[in-house]
Amino acid sequence: MTLSTPMVWIILPLVVAAVCLVLNKRRVFGIILTSVTAFGLALLAAFFPEELVLSIGPLTLAFEESLGILGRRITVAYEMLPFIAFIFGMLGLWGFSSNLPGVPSTFRPIGLIMTASLTAAMGVEPFLYAALLIETAVLVSIPMLASSEQESHRGILRYLSLMTIAMPLILIAGWLLTGVVILPPESPLIGQTAMLLGLGFALWLAVFPFHSWVPMVSQGSHPTVVSFLLFILPTIILVFGLNFLNRYAFLRTSEEIFNIIRIVGTMMIVFGGVWTALQDHLKRAFGFAALVETGFSLLAIGFSAEGGLRWMLMLFPARALGYWLWGYALTRFEHHCDSLEIRAVKGCARRYPLLSLGLLLAQLSIAGLPLLASFPIKIALLTQAAESGSSLGIWSFIGSLGLFLFSIRLLLNMVMPLDDEIERLWPVLEKTSEYLPVLVIGVILVMIGLIPDTFLAWLTDILTAFPQLQ
Amino acid sequence: MQALSTFAFVLIVIAAMMILIFRDWRINAAALALQYLAAFALVTLSWPIGLAIVKLIAGWMATAVIALTCLRQKNARDSSESGASLVFRGLAGLLIILLIFILTPTLQAQVFRQVDLLILQGGLMLLGMSLMQLGTNSEPYLIVISLLSFLAGFEVIHAALELSTLLTGLLVVVNLGLALVGVYFIIKVGESGETSKEEGDV
Repeated sequence: MTLSTPMVWIILPLVVAAVCLVLNKRRVFGIILTSVTAFGLALLAAFFPEELVLSIGPLTLAFEESLGILGRRITVAYEMLPFIAFIFGMLGLWGFSSNLPGVPSTFRPIGLIMTASLTAAMGVEPFLYAALLIETAVLVSIPMLASSEQESHRGILRYLSLMTIAMPLILIAGWLLTGVVILPPESPLIGQTAMLLGLGFALWLAVFPFHSWVPMVSQGSHPTVVSFLLFILPTIILVFGLNFLNRYAFLRTSEEIFNIIRIVGTMMIVFGGVWTALQDHLKRAFGFAALVETGFSLLAIGFSAEGGLRWMLMLFPARALGYWLWGYALTRFEHHCDSLEIRAVKGCARRYPLLSLGLLLAQLSIAGLPLLASFPIKIALLTQAAESGSSLGIWSFIGSLGLFLFSIRLLLNMVMPLDDEIERLWPVLEKTSEYLPVLVIGVILVMIGLIPDTFLAWLTDILTAFPQLQ
Repeated sequence: MQALSTFAFVLIVIAAMMILIFRDWRINAAALALQYLAAFALVTLSWPIGLAIVKLIAGWMATAVIALTCLRQKNARDSSESGASLVFRGLAGLLIILLIFILTPTLQAQVFRQVDLLILQGGLMLLGMSLMQLGTNSEPYLIVISLLSFLAGFEVIHAALELSTLLTGLLVVVNLGLALVGVYFIIKVGESGETSKEEGDV
């Protein structure tokens, strides 16, 4: 009997999602089922052998990499398993925290469906059809984002519109690319195709000026849900983008294209950083910080000749843990405080010291503070940008200061006592169950910062799936 | 065939203009259904009818889902717009038509050589009109109708480039998914409208 890996990492999560949807009201059961499935699939992906044949009595189970659907194939390649282990592991972490106050009950099944669709997107042949699977994931994500706020509706509709417009652009660009390969380098069609492709990815990755939905959704929707969305979507789209560089030599060898990617990345770091520094709302600041992170990923791709793709991949786990902690801390504060305006969290560090520490730790880890998870990668990237001889290094550095400035503003507000607290000791109100995850993830972030290669380098193994990019 | 494609193209222009100009859900739903019929006619020029009809059925299903939800919404507003806004959107639509007639021959000569001019014009007309529609309103159901029109335009052009069962299936999923998202928002907006009305009554 033959089984296929797509059945394990695509079909099975969909089945579990269906069960979660049916038993939507059994919250604890849903949390356990989602987390166990996600962590189980992550572990399986991490330790799955290249060729597995299981013999159970007279039954022999052989695993193959591909599954045929309607004349096309979906493949979960052995080389991609570390990445699949990573995204399912992170899904498990988010699923585990889905019992937080206010997290929609649809989050768990939707998270599973999104992860399954996006896993399929990475392995569908022809690879361009991934655009449709990404669009499916976007459509599925809408119910978990929607809240009662009108502002959130506008942001979500903008998100939906921009993502939907991106899909045809990628498909048309993909069709054009098949013809472009045989054209001479001076053909104008090459530039037009690259422009169409770039526009599609810019829409997908919320590159300026298509970024407006990010802060709107970030402010209007639940922080746990938004942090998951802002982690999984750009991560998969960036890995999907590697397919284009791997397959088309004219993209891979064009210095102009990499220059443009570097400039766009720097622009996002600068604009995102400045906007983050100026924000008065904690959730909006998270949205803008996510744009800065996309900027760093683009900057890393821009330096792919200097090993930038390794940096891009190594940033993913550090970023994912930072986003999770940020989303977790914001959720807790949203529950405890009346508002998430920066002035409204005045004195919070006196009442919730470890939760406040968690929030600041997440921000500073994402910002690249020394000893924290993102620092080793970001310093390498900034050094490379500075060494490239242009002003990219200076601008990227200025942009990355934005989140530091916002964190300092937040810290000053949080430790400032309320009028009735001046004379008193810190009245700590947080419970152990609330701050324990903060401590665990905080320790992991510090450990990653201290020994980054041990925690981050394994993900770069997936570059073997892109032989031209190694 | 030429007469059919010309008729389909004219139908697309009329339907797209109706969707762009009017805000009444009844007119928009009827125009969307007509638009899918015309798009189907253009797709049959490239695909066998058996496969092309999938697009028509999926499109009409999406239209029916949105129209029935609007019908059931108690507070679905009737359009009461000034004549000036209708004229403005009409002129914007005419500008799009003009632009597409100017651009299409060049685009066909340089990029889409194997695509029939009428198919390209029909597809681009839907794309252009829906983008204009997206830029001129913020009503959830109108945004979803615009996105459905946008996808229909893309499907008309893409059908002339490639034939794939999986792609057709995935596009059906996306179209129906969009319609369901539209329903979700129509209901959400309806609920919040009712709540605020009740609060106002109190």
